[in-house]
Amino acid sequence: MTFNNTYHHIKDNGHQKTAYSGIFRFIKKSYLLWILLCLMPLGACQDLLSPQPVDRISDDLVIKDASSARVALTSVYRSFVALTTPKIVAGDLMADNLIHNGTFIQYLEISNKDLSASNASAEALWSVVYQVAYRANFVLEWLDRIEITQNQFDEISAVARFLRGYAYFVGVTTYGGIPIVTSTEISVNRNISRATAAEVYDFVEQDYLYALDKVPVQTFNSGDVSNGAVKAALARFYLYREDWQRADQYASEVISGIGSRQYQLESNFNNVLRDFSSESILEVIYTANDNPGTSTNFGLNNLLEGRREIIPSPDAIQALQESGGSRINMISFNSALARGNDNGWTVTRYGPFDNVTIFRLPEMYLIRAEARARRGIISGPNSAASDLNVIRERAGLAAINLASQLQALQAIENERRMEFCFEGHRWYDLKRTGRAGAVMGVYSRNWSSTDELWPIPLREIQNNPGLRNSQNPGY
Amino acid sequence: MNKILPLIILCILFLRIESYAQSRVITGVVTNAQDNSPLPGVNIFIKGTSTGTITDFEGRYSLGVPADATSLVFSYIGFISQEIAIQGKSVIDVSLAEDAKQLDELVVTGYTMQNKRDILGSITSVKPDELRQMPIVGFDQALQGQASGVMVTQSSGEPGGGIMVRIRGNSSISSSNRPLFIVDGIPVRDGGLTGRSFGGQQDNAIASLNPNDIESIEILKDASAKAMFGSRAANGVVLITTKRGKAGERTRFEVDVQRGLSDPTGRVDLLNAAELLELQRESLINAGQDPNLAGIPGVTDAVDTDWINAVTRRALYEQYQLSASGGSDKTRFYLSGSFRDEEGVIVNNSFTRMTGAANIDHNANKRLNFGLNISAGRTLNRRVKGDNFLDGVYSGALRSLPYYAPYDENGNFYVPGNPGYAEFPNFNPLAQAILPRFDTYATKLLGGFNARYEIMPNLSLSTRFSLDYTSTIEDQFEPSGTAIGGFLPSIGGRGYGVYSTGESSQFLNTTTLIYNKTIGEKHALDGLLGTEILERVSRSSFVSGQFFPSDDFTYITSAGLVNDGSSFLIESGLISFFGQLNYKYQDRYLVTLNARYDGSSRFGEDRKFGFFPSASVGWRLSEEQFLQNFEKIDDLKLRMSYGITGNERIGDFQFLGTWAASNAYNGVPAISPATLANPLLQWEQTTEFNIGADISLYSGRVQINADYYYNTTNDLLLSEILPLTTGFGSVLGNLGEVTNQGAELTINSINFNGPLRWSTQFNISRNQNIVRKLATDEPQFAGYNTFTNSTHIIKPGYPLGTYWGLVFLGVDPGTGNAIYKDVNNDGELTAEDGTVIGNAQPDFFGGLTNTWSYKGFELSLFLQFSYGNEMINFAKTSMVNSGQDIENNQTREALLRWRNPGDITSVPRYEFENTFNNRFSSRFVEDASYLRIKNLSLAYNVPSKWVEKYRLEGVRLFVSGTNLWTLTNYSGADPEVNSLDGSTVSQGLDFYTLPQVRTLMAGINLRF
Repeated sequence: MTFNNTYHHIKDNGHQKTAYSGIFRFIKKSYLLWILLCLMPLGACQDLLSPQPVDRISDDLVIKDASSARVALTSVYRSFVALTTPKIVAGDLMADNLIHNGTFIQYLEISNKDLSASNASAEALWSVVYQVAYRANFVLEWLDRIEITQNQFDEISAVARFLRGYAYFVGVTTYGGIPIVTSTEISVNRNISRATAAEVYDFVEQDYLYALDKVPVQTFNSGDVSNGAVKAALARFYLYREDWQRADQYASEVISGIGSRQYQLESNFNNVLRDFSSESILEVIYTANDNPGTSTNFGLNNLLEGRREIIPSPDAIQALQESGGSRINMISFNSALARGNDNGWTVTRYGPFDNVTIFRLPEMYLIRAEARARRGIISGPNSAASDLNVIRERAGLAAINLASQLQALQAIENERRMEFCFEGHRWYDLKRTGRAGAVMGVYSRNWSSTDELWPIPLREIQNNPGLRNSQNPGY
Repeated sequence: MNKILPLIILCILFLRIESYAQSRVITGVVTNAQDNSPLPGVNIFIKGTSTGTITDFEGRYSLGVPADATSLVFSYIGFISQEIAIQGKSVIDVSLAEDAKQLDELVVTGYTMQNKRDILGSITSVKPDELRQMPIVGFDQALQGQASGVMVTQSSGEPGGGIMVRIRGNSSISSSNRPLFIVDGIPVRDGGLTGRSFGGQQDNAIASLNPNDIESIEILKDASAKAMFGSRAANGVVLITTKRGKAGERTRFEVDVQRGLSDPTGRVDLLNAAELLELQRESLINAGQDPNLAGIPGVTDAVDTDWINAVTRRALYEQYQLSASGGSDKTRFYLSGSFRDEEGVIVNNSFTRMTGAANIDHNANKRLNFGLNISAGRTLNRRVKGDNFLDGVYSGALRSLPYYAPYDENGNFYVPGNPGYAEFPNFNPLAQAILPRFDTYATKLLGGFNARYEIMPNLSLSTRFSLDYTSTIEDQFEPSGTAIGGFLPSIGGRGYGVYSTGESSQFLNTTTLIYNKTIGEKHALDGLLGTEILERVSRSSFVSGQFFPSDDFTYITSAGLVNDGSSFLIESGLISFFGQLNYKYQDRYLVTLNARYDGSSRFGEDRKFGFFPSASVGWRLSEEQFLQNFEKIDDLKLRMSYGITGNERIGDFQFLGTWAASNAYNGVPAISPATLANPLLQWEQTTEFNIGADISLYSGRVQINADYYYNTTNDLLLSEILPLTTGFGSVLGNLGEVTNQGAELTINSINFNGPLRWSTQFNISRNQNIVRKLATDEPQFAGYNTFTNSTHIIKPGYPLGTYWGLVFLGVDPGTGNAIYKDVNNDGELTAEDGTVIGNAQPDFFGGLTNTWSYKGFELSLFLQFSYGNEMINFAKTSMVNSGQDIENNQTREALLRWRNPGDITSVPRYEFENTFNNRFSSRFVEDASYLRIKNLSLAYNVPSKWVEKYRLEGVRLFVSGTNLWTLTNYSGADPEVNSLDGSTVSQGLDFYTLPQVRTLMAGINLRF
C-alpha cells in the first residue's frame, strides 16, 4: 500500500507537473488570445441591451381577456374625462355665460369671439374626440381577437361604442362635419378627409343604437354608462336632429324609468352640485389627480376657481340674479377681487374633486318640453309648460303659463340657460335653434355667423393632407 | 531639513554617481525669469556626462564637477534649457525662461495620450488655471470664450444654474446636444438634477464637481478625435483630467481663499405707481370703460413698491480650498477639499458645495501600476421659482403692480386672503422668495480604479472600473402664504409639500490594449484595441401632500392628504468595441484610423448595433525640404479628417409601442396608449468632414490653429407630427437632417517675453446651422404660443432657434394701432401671415484674453463676444403690452406709446383688452449681439524672499471683476440669458429671466 501510495503520489505529481507546464506553455504561447478573451464583454450582453420598461407594456399585451379588456376600456373613459373641460369652454365661454379674466390667450380669444385656428382649446377638444375614437377602436378591434363570452363582448363593445358616439357628437356639434375614424390604422387615419355633418350624425346614431340594449340597466354609480345614459344621449341627439317625436320618446323613457333606472329630481338645487345626485344619469368622475394645476388646458376647478382664468359674464350674472332662482348658488361674489375686467364673481360650481355632469334628469324634462312645444303641445298636462314648470319650481321660481309656441321656446331657452349654466350647453343650444346670430350678435361686437363653428385646428390642416383646404369659413 | 531630506534621498536614488575625479564644487540658485521665484527640481548636469543634480526647495544646488568640465546644462519641464559655461566660476545663478513652445506636450485624446504635435484631430485644450480668478462653479463654465468652436451660454444669473455647452453647433433637434463629458475616463452625468419645473431654469449636475481639481480640459471636435466615442460622440467630447501628484516631489500644500460680492448686471426699468395708474386709466378709457368703475383710481394711497429692489440683494460669494500633493517614485497622491458658498442675487437663493477628491497612483513594480481616483461632492441649492411662473420671484417682481406692497402695516407679508394681496395672476413676489422651501441636495460620487500592466515593452493592457453616482433629494414646501400653498385649493390648499428623490448610477468597465512600435527610422506605429461595458441605472420616487394642519408642519408626514406619489426605475446599457491605429512616416506623413462598434439598449429591436469609423491624414509641411529655409516656422501641419459619429441620447424605450398606467376611473385602474412603436429607431448619425492647420512660429511664440468643418447629421430623431385624428400627436422616427458648417481660428501669441510679458489668446468661431429636412414638408413649431402659432419654428432652410411671427411695420400715426405686414397678401391679417423674424444663432462668437505680467504683477483682461444673434424679449409682450391686460407692470418704453393722432412712435396705442396691438411680431425681436468684459483681474505674486521666512513657497493675491461691462443694443436686462434653459429649438428667449451677475472678488493663494 505504502509503496503503491508513494508510487501514485509520485505519478500524480508528475502528471500534475506535466499538466501545469502544458497550461503554462499554452498561456505563454497564446497570451494574445487570452488578452482578447479579457477584452470580450462576456455574458452580460443580452441583459444589458434589453432592459424592460417598468411602467409600460407593449400594444400586443394590452388586451388578453375580459378583465384586461375592461382595464383598456377604462382608458376610453379617461379620454372621456378629458372631454369635459374643453366642452364647457366651448358651451359657455364661446357663448354669453363666461368671460376671460386670466393670462392665457386661448381663453381670451374665445371670450372675444376672435378665435385663431391655432387656439389651444379648439385643439384640445379635437384631440380628445380622436383619443376617444382611437381607444374605443383599439378595444373593439382586440375584442374580436380574444376568447370572451358574448355577454362580456356585448357590454364592453357597447360602452366603447357609446363613448365613441358621444365624442363624435361633441365633435360634429363643435366643428361641423369631421373625419370619421373607425380603425386604429395610423396610415389611414393620418390622411382622412371630413365627412359631412349628416354622415357624422348617422355614425353617432348607429353607435348609440348599438349600445342601447347592450349596456347594463343598473351600474355601480352614474359614473359608468347605463342604458339610462344611452337613452338620455339619444334624446339629446334627436333634439339636435329636430326629430321631436323620438326626442320626446327617449326623454319620456328616462323620466318614467321604463326599462332603465328610475332617476329622481333633487328637491334642493344645491344637492345637484354634489356627486352622484339622485338625478344624475351620467357624470364624469373627477379625483384629486384629475385637476392638474399646470397645463394649458386646466381642470375645471383650477380654471374657474383657482386661477379664475374664466369668470361669469355680467350678462349671466344678471340673468341668474333675475331669473335663476336657487341656481344663483353656482356663483359667488368677492368684492376684493373686483378690479379692471374682473367683476369679482366666481363660478363655484366645480369644487376641486367634483364630478362633472354629462346628463341629468332636468335635461330630459326640458328636451321633452321643447319637443312638445315644437309639436304645438304648449300648455296643459303633459305639455311643454308642465315639464318646464317642474324645473322652475325646483329652482324656487313661480310656474309660468305659456301662451304661444314662440313664448314657449323662448322660456325653454331661458330655462336651459339657467339650469345648465356652466355645463357646456349654451353655445350649442343657440346654434341648433338658429338663435345664435340674434343673441350673440347683441352680446358681442365681434360675433359673426362663422363663430357658430370652431376652427379645425391649424396643426390638423397642416399635417393631414386630407384636410387641406377644408378649414371652416372665417379661419 | 526635514523637507530636504527626501529630496536628497531621491537624488541618491535617481542619479548614477560615477567615479569622476571631482575637483571642485559649483553652487548656485535657479529662479524663474518671470517672477524671480526659486525653481525647485531643476535638472543640472555636466555637459557631455550623465553626472548632475537637481535643485532643492529653495532652488539651490551644489554640484561637484571634474576639472575638465566645460559647461553646465539647466533643464526643467516647461522652461527653455540653458547651457552655461563654467569658465572657472564657483557660483552660477541661473534664471530660466518659460518655454512657449510646449510642442512636446502630451495631450489626453480619449483612451490614450498623444504628443500634441502629432494629433490629427481637432482638439482644443483649456487650462483651468487661467480661470482661477473667476468665480466659476463648474468646469463647463470654464470653457466660455476659451475654445474656438465651443459656445457656452449661462442661462441665467442663478447660482448653480444651467449652462449650455455646444460644440460646433446643434446637431440634433430633439435629442440632447450636450457634449459627452468625461472626467478621468468616467463619463459623467450632465444636465439638470431636479424633476420639478422652476419656470424654465434648471440646475446643473456638473456644478457638484469642483473645477479647481482639474489639471486640463481637452475638447474633441472632429470625427478623428471623437469617433473613438462612437454613438455618444456626435456632440463633441470634453475630456477632463484631474490633478495628480508628481513623482519625486515633496509634499506641497496649497490654500486658496476667494471672497466676493455680486449684483445683477442689468435692470429692467419699470413704471412707478403713478405712471402705471395713469397708463391703465388711459387704456381703459381708450376701450370705452370708466376706470373708476373698473377699480383703477386716479390717485393712490402712496404705495409705490419697487419690486425688483424688494427681491434682489447684493450677494456674498466665498470659496475655500485646501489641497496637498506629492509622491515618491512608487506612489503619488493628490488630495483636496473645498467649500463654496454662493448667494444668489435673489433673496433666499443660494448654492453651497463641499467637495473632496483623492487621486492615488502606485507603481507596484516595473510592469504593473494602478491607481484610484475618488471625487465626492455635496451641494445644497436653495432655489426660487422664476421665468414662466406667475408665482416666480424675479418674474413676479417684474410683473407685479407697484401699487401693491409686500408687507402690511405690521410688517407681516400680505398672503392669500388678505385684502392687500394682489391675487391671481400677481401674488407677492417677496413672500414667494422667502416663505417656500425649495432645497435640492445633491450628492455626487465619482470613483475609478485603474490598472495598467506592461506585457512587453511596447504592449500594455489597461483596465478601468468606475462609478458615477448621483443622488438628488428635493425637499420642498410651499406654506399657505404662497400662491400654490394658499391660493390654489385644487393644488395646495393650506400648504403643499413635495419630496422627491433620485439616484442614478453608471457602472463602467473599460479595457484597452495599447501597442506601439517604431520600425527602422522611418515608420512609427501605435494602436489600441478596447472594449467598454456601460450600465446606467436610475431610480426615483416622489410624494406630494396638501392640506397641512398649519404652516408649522412642513413635512408630508403631517399632510392632511397625501395626494400623489410614485416610484420608478429605468435601466440602459451600452456595449462597445473600439480601436485606433496611428501611423507616422518620417515624422512627415501621418495617418489615424478610428472605429467603434456600439450596441445600445436605446436602439430599436432591429437596430441594436451601430458602426462609427473615422480616418484622418496629416502632412507636416515643416519637415519638407522646401520649407526648411523658413526658419520662423517651427511646425506646420495640415490635417484632414472624415468620419461618422452618433448620438444615442434619444431616450429609453422610445422604439416600443406601449400602453402606460394612467389615473384610475371609477375605481377601475386604467392603462392608456403612451407611444407608437418604431422598431427601426436608431442613433442619430453625423458625418463629419474637417480640414485644418496647426502652425507654430517664432520658436513657438505664435501658435495658430485653423479649422473648417462640414457636418451633416441625418437620421435625426424627430417626433413626426401626426394629425390628431390618429389618436396620437406624434410618432418618433429617424427623419430629419441638419448641417453645421463653420470655421474656427485660434491664435495664441506671446507678444513680449522679457521682464514684461504680454500674451494674447484669441479665438473666433463661426457656425452655420441649417435644418435640411424634417419629417414632412410642414414646419414644426416650438417655444411659447402666439397668434401665429409659436415663437419658434423649425423649418427646412433655416437654423434651429428661428423665430416666427408677424412682421411689425410700425405704428399708424393716425390710429395708434400696430401695422403688420400682410405676408400672404390676402388682404386680411391672420395667423397665416406668420413668417421668419430672426434667429438665435450668432454669426460669430469668441473670446480674447490678454495677459500682462511684470515683476510678479499679472493683469488679465478677458473679453467675450457674440455677434449677430437675436433675442426674443418675450417679457415685453406683457410689459409693453399695449393694454392687453392691466395685470402687469410696464417698462418705461410704454411711456413712448402713441397717445394722439399724429404721434410718431414705435409703441402702439394702449387699449384695454385689445390683443391686436400686442400680437407677437418682430417688435419683440431684438439684436442681442454683445461684447462683454467677462473678467478683469490683477494678481500679485509676492516675491519669495518676502515669504520664505514664513516657510511659504509662494503667495499670490488677486482682485477680479466678472461681467464688469457689456456693450449691447439689447433692451432687456442681459443679452446672455435663456429662459427655456437647455432647449435647442426654443433658444433665445428672455422671459423674465434673471440677468447674469457682476461679481467683484478678492482672493489669496498660498503654497507651502
